[in-house]
Amino acid sequence: MKERIAIIDGIRTPQAKAGEQLRSVSADDLGAYALKELLARTEFPKENIDEVIIGNVAQPANAANISRVIALKSGFPNSISALTVHRNCASGMESITSAACKILAGQGNIIVAGGTESMSHIPLLYGKKMTAFFEKMMRAKTLKQKLSILSSFRLSFLKPIIGVVEGLTDPVCGLIMGLTAENLAREFKISREAQDDYALNSHLKALDAIKSGRLAEEIVPVPLQPKYDTVLKDDKGPREGQSMKALSKLRPFFDRKAGTVTVGNSCPLTDGAAMTLLMSESRAKEIGLTPMGYLKAFSYAGLEPERMGLGPVYATSKLLDNTGFTMKDFDLVELNEAFAAQVIGNECAFKSDAFSSKFLGKDKALGEIDPSILNVNGGAIALGHPVGTTGTRLVITILKELKRRNKQRGLATLCIGGGQGAALALEVD
Amino acid sequence: MKTTNFSLITKNGIGRLTFDLEDEKVNKLTTPVMKELNKLLDELKHKREIKVLIFCSAKKDIFIAGADIREIQDISDPSEGENKALMGQAVLNKIEALPFPTISAIDGAALGGGCEFALACTFRIASDNPKTQLGLPEVSLGIIPGFGGTQRLPRLIGVSKAMPLILTGKSIDHKKSEKIGLIDAFYSQAFFDDGVESFAKSIIEGSSEKRIEKRRKKQSFLIDNTPIGRAIVYKKSQASVLKMTKGHLPAPLKAIKAVKYGLKKSLEKGLIVEAQYFSDLVVTDVCKNLIQLFFTGEELKKFSGVRDQVLSKPVTFKNGGVLGAGLMGGGIAWLLSYRGLNVRLKDIGWDAVAKAFHTADKIYSQLVKKRRIKHIMKSVYMNRLSATITNSGFYHSDIIVEAVVENLDIKKSVYSELEPRIKSSAIIASNTSALDITELADGLKNPERFIGMHFFSPVNKMPLVEIIPGEKTSDKTVMETVAFVKQLKKTPIVVSNCPGFLINRILMPYVTEAIKMVSEGVSIKLIDSVAVKFGMPLGPLELADEVGLDVGYKVAKILEDGYGDRMTVDSFFESIHRKKELLGKKSGKGFYIHNSGKKEVNPEISLGKKSNCSASIIEERLFFIMINEAARCIDEGVVDNPRFLDMAMLMGTGFPVFRGGLCRYADTIGASLIVDRLTSLEETCGNRFNPADLLITYRDERKSFY
Repeated sequence: MKERIAIIDGIRTPQAKAGEQLRSVSADDLGAYALKELLARTEFPKENIDEVIIGNVAQPANAANISRVIALKSGFPNSISALTVHRNCASGMESITSAACKILAGQGNIIVAGGTESMSHIPLLYGKKMTAFFEKMMRAKTLKQKLSILSSFRLSFLKPIIGVVEGLTDPVCGLIMGLTAENLAREFKISREAQDDYALNSHLKALDAIKSGRLAEEIVPVPLQPKYDTVLKDDKGPREGQSMKALSKLRPFFDRKAGTVTVGNSCPLTDGAAMTLLMSESRAKEIGLTPMGYLKAFSYAGLEPERMGLGPVYATSKLLDNTGFTMKDFDLVELNEAFAAQVIGNECAFKSDAFSSKFLGKDKALGEIDPSILNVNGGAIALGHPVGTTGTRLVITILKELKRRNKQRGLATLCIGGGQGAALALEVD
Repeated sequence: MKTTNFSLITKNGIGRLTFDLEDEKVNKLTTPVMKELNKLLDELKHKREIKVLIFCSAKKDIFIAGADIREIQDISDPSEGENKALMGQAVLNKIEALPFPTISAIDGAALGGGCEFALACTFRIASDNPKTQLGLPEVSLGIIPGFGGTQRLPRLIGVSKAMPLILTGKSIDHKKSEKIGLIDAFYSQAFFDDGVESFAKSIIEGSSEKRIEKRRKKQSFLIDNTPIGRAIVYKKSQASVLKMTKGHLPAPLKAIKAVKYGLKKSLEKGLIVEAQYFSDLVVTDVCKNLIQLFFTGEELKKFSGVRDQVLSKPVTFKNGGVLGAGLMGGGIAWLLSYRGLNVRLKDIGWDAVAKAFHTADKIYSQLVKKRRIKHIMKSVYMNRLSATITNSGFYHSDIIVEAVVENLDIKKSVYSELEPRIKSSAIIASNTSALDITELADGLKNPERFIGMHFFSPVNKMPLVEIIPGEKTSDKTVMETVAFVKQLKKTPIVVSNCPGFLINRILMPYVTEAIKMVSEGVSIKLIDSVAVKFGMPLGPLELADEVGLDVGYKVAKILEDGYGDRMTVDSFFESIHRKKELLGKKSGKGFYIHNSGKKEVNPEISLGKKSNCSASIIEERLFFIMINEAARCIDEGVVDNPRFLDMAMLMGTGFPVFRGGLCRYADTIGASLIVDRLTSLEETCGNRFNPADLLITYRDERKSFY
């Protein structure tokens, strides 16, 4: 990249498991709320913003191009340009990197980038048989026709297609995401206990980050619909009193007979939104703003869909090639926790010479990730993974933490359903 | 063909008569216009080339706005009124009797006489212009439709649908009009001329007449076309009118009578009765009061807030701030968001903030339920609210309304924290009801941008906002704040920075006088019933319970501090105040015991003594003490003029409209009688009744407020 992209500020809503506290807040309302707060905190004039780019995976039917809906609901003038991006679990990063590309290409100077997701609102769908039934009924003209079609109705038509399950199932390899994690557990021989231990740690780190107020710095509380009579102030995923004992009691969820991946060592379906304000470093200097941090470089890479969890290794490998950085150059790493098995798998792959030579065409390992700088404030297993939002959240979380520790550079990376990885190099002054 | 106000073009059998009232922005049915029309119609009926006649207007957004209200105001003799009505009816009868079908093509307001004009035509069609409104608002001016409206409307759409229109005076849009059969079709405004043309052609060809006739007959047969059905409608209408007006407004009752009579006898006889009732009503005080209020409303719409000045350019407020998320803050945040502002809301804790969101959401839910807004709009409006517990996000606010607790130091510290974070052109407006505006502004960097803006509770229902400039407030700030309140669609009244401002200053003596009477042993029920009979929506003691006795006491104390002797808080009020559980409605008991909707006099308040104060003395004590204070307010220039004071009382206290306001009411009694009575009350009740200087001057110089 010919110039760093300044991330002026970032803000997010608290995250809560789908179906819980945020269940009545739609993805567009959630995004608009976060965006309003971003605008209020930066006090940056909306009129000077060129575009709004939002990542969103489950794109609700009633808010087509949700980015534009969010922009208008958060008070932008009608002239605002807005687009929605979708790169599955990295949608909230894609919005940031797309914005970066646009800024560097001269297609806009100041851009809002973020992500929003309400997994609570992913609908159940009618199946093919029911849809066909409806179609026939609508076309029927005479009473006789109608009756004859009506008589063809079977209760089985009503069996819904569960949107979330469809979304989380890879249409190419046919595996649901949890089974891709089982693949990694087998590839790297990651025991159930190691996974549970990792999950427990994520909860402990997240709880500490909440209690110390570190996460509150990036969060705006949300008055909760439908009645707005309570306020959600913190992330609700981290469990007080989580223990190995409780985790070990859970049955494997995806491979019930021989599996190791449980709901306890996976990230939950989650609702949440996050927003950032971006411009070139030189523009920020010109206006006299102090950015929260900078995007230095980024890479995306693809791999086999059934091993999608290893995306971070592939993407980071590319990032290191492009920038000349080594793993030692990163003071902090945020590696999204889709599954404990997947994070541990990545840890193994990062430090493995054999993996490197077999899959990355390199003779040496990328380098070990020091566990003490990895996901220091907990990760998605505890905090949740609102798929369209997480990418943006990781960027905000890592930049705030770098500043807190007075460190310089961080790596934010995540695996992407469908078999991709994303890796962003982020810096603070 | 062209006359002063009308022009006729005839083409292919379609005549188009365009009404364009000379030197006016709107079309009105003045007496000269009616005379002109009368002559014109005599000529028109001989025009053989006309197969169908269209009536239309050359004015933008107006078909015919109605009769000339000034003219109605000036009618002082019932026979003059009757003649005007009969003359108008005769003209409209001529339209009805034309040898060819007629069409009113309505693209804008067709109200009162304008609507009656349309009713006299064979057909009515309208555009979907948002300004297209049809209705008979006469009752809101204390009269009934006098050009046949009470007769033709029920005949056209059926009595059950006609009654609400006639009795409430509310106007309806093109969709509703089409639905109830008041118009026969509507077209989009962009293609209105084409629509009118093709409608007219179809009439000439005879292709749609039958269909329209059939559609019109689709009235509710059992209700509208049977004597029993109609009797039920009359009875129900009567009951609802009495409930709404408590019998204080004669016009709706007369309207029911006119409709009933006309439908029983005939159109001709009905018209005669209608004209007679119209003339009875048009000379009453009620009618004159309501018309005066109409004009005062128009005057207020134009008033910039500062005499003889206007803003150099109009302002629109886009971003607003609200400090304090209590009941008032929540209501104000709702109002701002509803009127298109992005709102930044601040309180000290998130739970407090949530209360404001909750308040706003509740009001929006009510609006959705009443179908005033669509469900999806609720989400759009709610999204205009953002909240914080810091001072961030106010930089773009054009105006910040402060509604934190009534404490000078707290308010001042809130301002001093906020002022460095807002732009210098932003207005800070305090919703204080009690504190001195000049004192509040002390210490601000821009005191000229500080002002008082007193909303009444509940914000979504109360239309009045008092605007109170402090010593240093600039004229520009006053005018911008007035413009802001107008943008919120509330009524702004600029008042002086005196204790209690205008409304509380006048209303409080009324409430404390009532409490004083209770202490003398007058029955609580009697006092309240006298006030309600007078026309107040609530008696003073019921009002005290509603507001809360603690709040009332606080205000009373402030007024005592400000005005001394004449507003001394009675020891009895103190003693009630000291009993902490007697807070009024919110604690369940005050002067009344509030028990799930039921209200009974609280026996704890009873003093054992009994006073035989008569109803008329009670009424005088309650209302003359207000008149006395109002006179002082006028004398001191607390408000620009008595008309504005009257409007403020109406909107701020629910003072009965039919009395026209407090000053207007005083005028109907006369200064001399009022001074007499005040003097006598001063002897029996104390020097708080000492007549105001202005009243004495009025008595001596035979003057009045108006």
